[in-house]
Amino acid sequence: MRIKHAFLTLWAVLVTLPLLWALMSSFKTDAEIFDSPWTPPASPQFDNWSRAWEHASIGQYLFNTLIVVGGSLALTMLLGALTAYCLARYEFPGNRFLYYTLIAGMLFPVFLALVPLFFVVDNLGMLGTYHGLILVYAAYALPFTVFFLHGFFRSLPGAVAEAAFLDGASHAGVFFRVMLPMARPGMVSVGIFNFLGLWNQYLLPRVLNPDPDHYVISQGLAALAVSQGARSDWSGLFAGLVIAILPVLLAYVFFQRQIRAGLTSGALK
Amino acid sequence: MMNLTRRSALAGVAAVAASTGLAACATAGGDDGDKVKQGDTSAENPLGVSADAALEVVIFKGGYGDQYAIDAGSSLKQKFPKVAVDHKGIQGVGEVLQPRFVADSPPDVVDNSGAGRLDLATLVSAGKLTDLTSLLDAPSLDDPSKKVRDTLMPGVIEDGTFDGKPLVLNYSSVLWGVWYSKSLFAKHGWTFPKTWDEMLTLNDEIKKAGLHPWTWQGKYPEYLNDPLVSLAAKAGGFDLVKSIDNLAPGAWQSPAMLAAAEAIHQLAVRGHIMPGSEGLSHTEAQNAWCKGQVAFIPCGSWLEGEQQAVTPAGFDMVMGTVPALTGSDKLPNGAVMAASSESFIVPAKAKNVPGGLEFLRHLFSQKVARGFAENAKALPVVTGATDGLSLTSGLGSVAEAVKAAGPNVFSYKFRTWYAPLSKALDDATGELATKRINPQQWAERVQKAADAVAKDSSIVKHQR
Amino acid sequence: MRHGKYRFLAGALIVPLTLYGVFVLSPYLQAFQLAFTNWNGVDSAPEFTGFDNFSKLWDDPLFLAGLRNNGLMLLVVPLAVIVLALALAAGTRGTRVYRVVYFFPQLLSVAIIAVLWQFVYTPNSGLLNGALAALGLDSWRQSWLAEPNLALWCVMAVMIWSSVGFYVVLFSAAMESVPDDIMEAAAIDGAGPMTVFRRITIPLIWESVQVGWIYLGIAALDGFALVQIMTVGPGGPDNSTEVMGLGLYRTAFTFGKFGYASAMGVAIFFLTLSIAVLLLRVTKRERVELA
Repeated sequence: MRIKHAFLTLWAVLVTLPLLWALMSSFKTDAEIFDSPWTPPASPQFDNWSRAWEHASIGQYLFNTLIVVGGSLALTMLLGALTAYCLARYEFPGNRFLYYTLIAGMLFPVFLALVPLFFVVDNLGMLGTYHGLILVYAAYALPFTVFFLHGFFRSLPGAVAEAAFLDGASHAGVFFRVMLPMARPGMVSVGIFNFLGLWNQYLLPRVLNPDPDHYVISQGLAALAVSQGARSDWSGLFAGLVIAILPVLLAYVFFQRQIRAGLTSGALK
Repeated sequence: MMNLTRRSALAGVAAVAASTGLAACATAGGDDGDKVKQGDTSAENPLGVSADAALEVVIFKGGYGDQYAIDAGSSLKQKFPKVAVDHKGIQGVGEVLQPRFVADSPPDVVDNSGAGRLDLATLVSAGKLTDLTSLLDAPSLDDPSKKVRDTLMPGVIEDGTFDGKPLVLNYSSVLWGVWYSKSLFAKHGWTFPKTWDEMLTLNDEIKKAGLHPWTWQGKYPEYLNDPLVSLAAKAGGFDLVKSIDNLAPGAWQSPAMLAAAEAIHQLAVRGHIMPGSEGLSHTEAQNAWCKGQVAFIPCGSWLEGEQQAVTPAGFDMVMGTVPALTGSDKLPNGAVMAASSESFIVPAKAKNVPGGLEFLRHLFSQKVARGFAENAKALPVVTGATDGLSLTSGLGSVAEAVKAAGPNVFSYKFRTWYAPLSKALDDATGELATKRINPQQWAERVQKAADAVAKDSSIVKHQR
Repeated sequence: MRHGKYRFLAGALIVPLTLYGVFVLSPYLQAFQLAFTNWNGVDSAPEFTGFDNFSKLWDDPLFLAGLRNNGLMLLVVPLAVIVLALALAAGTRGTRVYRVVYFFPQLLSVAIIAVLWQFVYTPNSGLLNGALAALGLDSWRQSWLAEPNLALWCVMAVMIWSSVGFYVVLFSAAMESVPDDIMEAAAIDGAGPMTVFRRITIPLIWESVQVGWIYLGIAALDGFALVQIMTVGPGGPDNSTEVMGLGLYRTAFTFGKFGYASAMGVAIFFLTLSIAVLLLRVTKRERVELA
C-alpha cells in the first residue's frame, strides 16, 4: 500500500511540478529565471503579467478565441452528431464509404493541406474572418467527432426510437427529442475534447488568419515567443503562458465533476 | 517497404484522376489587370510613383521591431500625402505570404526575415522579384547628386544580387565575431588574441582563473559554424570562399577548411567549452556569458540588442574579429565576415511596384536609418547613418570593425543558396564540437552533402 | 413506416459533407496531386514529374531517419502510456483527486508543453539536472537533449508525460463501470488482486484499451511540434530526433520543395492508415458483454 501511494504521489508531483514552476517563473525577473530555476522570486514581478496582458494584447486574443472556438464548437457538435447519427442508425448505399472517408480525415498530416486550403478559403473570400475560421475549424473537427459519436449512437437501445416512430414522430423529431438527449454523456465528452483541440489550434489560424487584430490565443502566444524571445523577455513569455493556461485549467477544476461524469459514460461506448 | 511504395503510388494515381478538376486552383496564377501604372518621372519623383495608389507593406516584426518601417512609411506620406500606406508587422512571414506569391497577388514591399521566412533562392528562381536597378540608380533622398547605390555599405548590393541582378536589399549590416566583456578582460589583464594559437593559450589562462573560456548556442549549431568558416576564409582567402559557394569538388576538404575545423575541434579537445553548451539555446548560452561565467561567445552583431534586458551595467560587451588561423593567412588581420539581414524585396507581381521602390528609397534614407540604429541597436547598411551618434559599447566595436576591415570583408552565399547543405553543415559541426567526430570525418561529411547538392538537378545552381 | 428517410438523410448530411469536402478533402486531394510535381511553393506552373518524388523518398537519409525514429516511438510510447495509465487507473480507485491532477497536461497545448520541458531538460539551469544535484546524483547530470543516445528518449518521455492523464481518466471510467459483484465473486472464488485485474478487469475494458492503442499509434507517428520546439537543430543532435513530420515541414518551408514534401505527406498518410488498420486487427478480441 505504501509503495502504491508513493507511486501515485510521484506521478502527481511529476505532473504538477512543471506547471507550478511556470507559475513561479512568471513572477520572477529575467535574471532570476536564468540564475536558478529553483529559487522563488525575491519580490513578485506583477509587472510581467500586465506587460503580457497589455503590451501583447492577450486580452484581445482571448476575446477572438472565445468567438471562434465558441462558434465552431457549436457547429461541430450539431453537424457531428447529425452525421454520426445518420451513419450509425441508418442503412443506405454508400454508408460505409462515407464513414471511412470522414474517418480518413484524422490521418492526414495537416500541414500538407495548408497551401491548397489557403486558396479554397481565399476564393470564398473568408480569409481572416471569424466565420471563415469557424467553418474551417468545424470541418477539421468533424472526423474525430463523427468517429467518437458513431460508436455511441450505435450502442443506444433502439426500442425508444421505435416507440417514438410508432407515435408518429418524424426522423428529425426522433433525433432531436429522443436520441440526442440520450447521447448527452457522449456529447459532453466529445465536446470537451473538441474544446481543448480547438482552443489549442495553431497551424490553421496561422495560415488563414493573418490579421494581428484577429489573432487567436495560440497565435498571440507564438508571436509573443518570437518577439519576447528575441528581446530575452522570458518572464513576460512565462506570464503569457500562464495566462493562456489558466482559463482552461480553472474551467476544468471548476467543472471537473461534470466533465468526469461525461467521460465516464461517454468513454465506454 | 516496396509494397508500401507501390500501394501509395497507385492510390496517388487514383487521387490525381479524381481531383483533376480541383487541381488547377492551388497553383493557378492571377492576372495583372489591376496593376498600378508607372506615373511620369521627374527629379522629384524619379521612380514615377502615382500619387494616389495604395501601398501595402509587410514587415517582419522580430528583434529589431518595425518602427523603422513605420518611419519610412510616414516619410513617404510626407511626399505623397494621398498614398495610403497599409503597414503590417507580422511574424511567420512565409506562412502568411507564400500563398499570396503563388496567387501572384503579393504585397508591394516585403521584409522577408525571421524564422519561417520564404526561401529567397526559390523566389528568385521562380522569377517572383522585381529587379531593383532602377532604385539603385535613382538619386538618394538626402542628396540628389548621389545615387542610392552610392549610399550603401560595400557588399550590400552584392549580397542581394542573384546571377547579376540586384533583387534583394538588406537593411541591417551584420558582422560575425567573438564577443567578450571589456571590463572582465581589463580586470584579469587579458587582451583579445590576434591568432588562434594565442586564443588557445589565453583559454588555458582563463580556465586557471576559474572561468569557462568558451560557450556556444548549441541548440543552433550554425552559431559555431560562423567562426569556423571565418577562420577558413582568412586562411584560404576569397578563392576558398568562392570555391565553397560554387560547390567546387573537394572544397570542404581543402587544407584551410580542414585546419579551421581542427581549430574549433581543439576547443572541445582541450576542454575550453563550458560543459552543457551543446544543449543550450541561444538565450541560455548568451545569458551564461552575460553573467560572467564564460569569457567568449561567437555571435553576430545583433547580440547587444538581443541581450539589452539582461546585460549587467558596466559589462561593456565588445565584438572581436575572429583571430588569424595561421601565420600565413591570405587575408589580413581584421578581415571579417559580414553580411546583411532584414531582406527587403519588391515582388515582381506587386500591384504598385513604383510605390514599393519609392518606399525603399525612403527606408534607405539617413533619417530612417539613424532611427533604426538608435531603436534597434543595430547597424543599418546606409553609410554615415551612425555618424555623430554616441554608440553603445557593442555597436561601437562593430562600427570600428567595419572601418578596420576596409575592403577585407567576406561573406558566404551557400547558406542562402543551398539550404540542404547548411543543414548538413550544422549537423556535422554539432558533432565536431562534442568530439563525436574528428575534423577529417567532419570534412568528409560536409563534402558529401555539397556533392549531393551539386548532383541534384532539382536545385537551381548559382555561381559567383 | 419511416417514410422520408432519404429526405431526412439528405437534409442532415448535406451541410457537414459539403463543409468536409470543401475544406478538408479538396485541399488534400490537391496535395496528392502536387506530390507528382516539382512544385517549389511559389511557382505558378509546376512540372509533372511522375513518380520521381516517391522513388527519391527511399534514398533520402533524413526521411529514413524520421521513419526509424517514428518507428521506435510507435513501439515504445503507446505501450508505456497504456501500462502506466492502467496501473494508475487501478491504483486510484476511490481517490479522485489524483485523477483530476493527472488530467492537467491534457489541458495544455503542445507548444506550451514543449516550451516547459525545454526548461526541464536544459543542462545548467534546468529542473532535471537541478533535481539530480539536489539528490546527490551529480554524476547522472546530462545534456539531455544534446546526447544522440538520449535525446529521442527524452522526447518520448514528454509524449508519455502529456498523454498518460487522459488514458487514466478513460480507463478508470471504464473500470468504474465494471460491476462490483463481478469483482467480489472473483475474490470469493479465491482470485488474487493481480488475477482479477488480468482476467476480469482488462478484458472488460478492452475496447477502451483498443481505442487507446489507435490514438496513441497515430500520435507516435507525429511528434512534430515537440521535436520542432524542443530539440537541438531541430531534429538533432545529428538527426537522432528527426521525425517524418519535421522532414516534411523542412522540405516544404525551408528547402522550398513542396512537390517532394507532398509526396512525404502522402507516404505518411498511407503509413498511418496501415498502422491504424493493423492495430485494429492485432488488438481485436471478442467483445465481452456485461449481461
